[in-house]
Amino acid sequence: MHPPTKFSLLDAEGQEKQFPPDGPVLLALVKEDCDTCNLTLPLLEAVHRDTDQGLDVWVAVQKRDDIDVLKDRHDLTMPLLDDDALDLSYETDIDTVPTLFLYDEEQNCTLQTFGFDKHEWREIASESMTLAGRPGVETSIDWESLPEQRPGCGARNYEPGVYERLQALKSGDLLSRLVDLASSDDIHEFMYDQGYTDGFPVVPPTRERVWKMLQGTTRDPQDEVAIVPPNLAPITVEKVAINAVMAGARPEYLPAIIALVETACTESFNIHGVLATTMGATPVGIFNGPIRDRIGMNYLHGALGSGNRANAAIGRALRLCARNVGGSVPGGTDRATQGGPHRLTMNFAENEDASPWDSLAVEYGFEPTDDVATLMAMSGGPATIADERSRDGRGMAGTLAMSMSCMQDPKSPMVDTLVVLSPDHAGIFGRSGWSKDDVRECIMEETAIPLKHRLRSDDAGAGLPPSVVERFGGEQALDYPVPKFQDKSNIILVVAGSSAAKFSTILGGWAAGVYSTPTSARIGTDGALEIRGRSGAGMDKRRSGGKDLGAFEPRIRRG
Amino acid sequence: MVTQILDPTDERVPIKRQLTPRPEALHGTIALLDISKPRGDVFLDRLEQLLHERAPGIETKRFMKPTVAKPAPQPIKDAILEECDFVIEALAD
Repeated sequence: MHPPTKFSLLDAEGQEKQFPPDGPVLLALVKEDCDTCNLTLPLLEAVHRDTDQGLDVWVAVQKRDDIDVLKDRHDLTMPLLDDDALDLSYETDIDTVPTLFLYDEEQNCTLQTFGFDKHEWREIASESMTLAGRPGVETSIDWESLPEQRPGCGARNYEPGVYERLQALKSGDLLSRLVDLASSDDIHEFMYDQGYTDGFPVVPPTRERVWKMLQGTTRDPQDEVAIVPPNLAPITVEKVAINAVMAGARPEYLPAIIALVETACTESFNIHGVLATTMGATPVGIFNGPIRDRIGMNYLHGALGSGNRANAAIGRALRLCARNVGGSVPGGTDRATQGGPHRLTMNFAENEDASPWDSLAVEYGFEPTDDVATLMAMSGGPATIADERSRDGRGMAGTLAMSMSCMQDPKSPMVDTLVVLSPDHAGIFGRSGWSKDDVRECIMEETAIPLKHRLRSDDAGAGLPPSVVERFGGEQALDYPVPKFQDKSNIILVVAGSSAAKFSTILGGWAAGVYSTPTSARIGTDGALEIRGRSGAGMDKRRSGGKDLGAFEPRIRRG
Repeated sequence: MVTQILDPTDERVPIKRQLTPRPEALHGTIALLDISKPRGDVFLDRLEQLLHERAPGIETKRFMKPTVAKPAPQPIKDAILEECDFVIEALAD
């Protein structure tokens, strides 16, 4: 609560009243639907009459329409000021009405109070008489008839919704350009016409909503989060928050969204390539750690699909940032040949309790208690693997291998592939005592086919170029078994979904994972505390090597 | 009612309603829309005459709003959109 030093408001007659007036003044802030305000307004009127123009009594009313109501109800003659816009209430930061400020003739605030405390009000009334040049003269107020104390009421400027609006309008936190809508504009049609949406309606990013979103982080709204390709545009926390509002996010998701934007824009993840590729890739977010439950992510029934706000909105917010700030628009720099529905949003949490293994985040070097999001660039799938018969690890891994062997095409080698195991499928491995590496090695073995079957041929044009044969020692290498995957670490195993049935999902990595590395962020309240690209996988070697599949170096298992 | 939103973009492009690109030449069918202001018909009659003189080969179609005070009914807008390549609106008297 800060006594105001200067303001101007209109009175009931529409005349501007400049504060401070000459001489002492008693200023009150009230609202109509407050019993304590109604109890005390006659007291203020009495002070106004008793001080006989030796002191101004001004009453600011928090709603314009209430001025006449109060005037008639209490037969008031003192000036009632219109604080409908709550400018004065915001500036003084009152949280209770009535609130009183008494100023002497030099405009020093000498007394203040809120609510009704008879002792304090009596002191203010007495001091008002003194300031009016009538020291020692009692007011006409019948103090004996009044209660000792009455609590005040919540000030309108702190009501839910109003507080956020005032902060958004007056705090100066928000610097983005304001877009005016004509009264005839339909907001949703307008936003679509401006190119702001992914095709679905978005939540209009009003100042109130964006300000509220920003309460999800302590980070300064104007902090630069990243440079977003392809336009290489700086994105601030405020811009992330605007797009997060549009995506339907809640403020508690904002740190994760900021972290994902930071992660996506690293060289390691390379969002530029992910969203520009003709292959139609998209960032897929996988969450680990306590944040999953804290923000209500779904890792049970339908974990990869619709129905959960956090899962859907976080991934969508990242995509909207890339679109609106980065300029990645289909047909523009987004050259996806076909794309897929997961390009709208693809974001889920791992069902860590149902996994027999360490979580993905722990595998990548984080602690189980860390909040971690890992981005992977996926272009293929999600494709279902149905196996309701396997009862041991060998059988289950065999099913996975056979299903994965045809990804992209049966001949071409893959690098990163995301395998999202259902709890039932993961449980089979757990009961068989299989580690993640056991599963991976079995898949490597089961997907291995002779090199000659991975070569391009007249009857199926996809595959490795004939030039690779020479690199493996000539014709005798044609029968060497070559696995589908460059390295076992490219087979990424996570667990998600419910124990409803024995169905799992695979997603194929972008361009064999060559140009984008799975990249993880440890999430704090302000975004990413730490970002790590996965190390040790084949793709890291490829990043400094050639880009043609002719340079692919399959791991050959001899004999 | 939402009257202002915050710009979600990098703000490189000004916000405005883009004008349709100007065509190189008149062709096809031109809608002449009378908004029911007085003497709008006189103006459009003369304009129609001049259009046929100076751009032979074009067609014209006349439309009229039922009242000047309200936006054109959707069927009129739809008809102009479907049947015409250009529209000239006689706005004031």
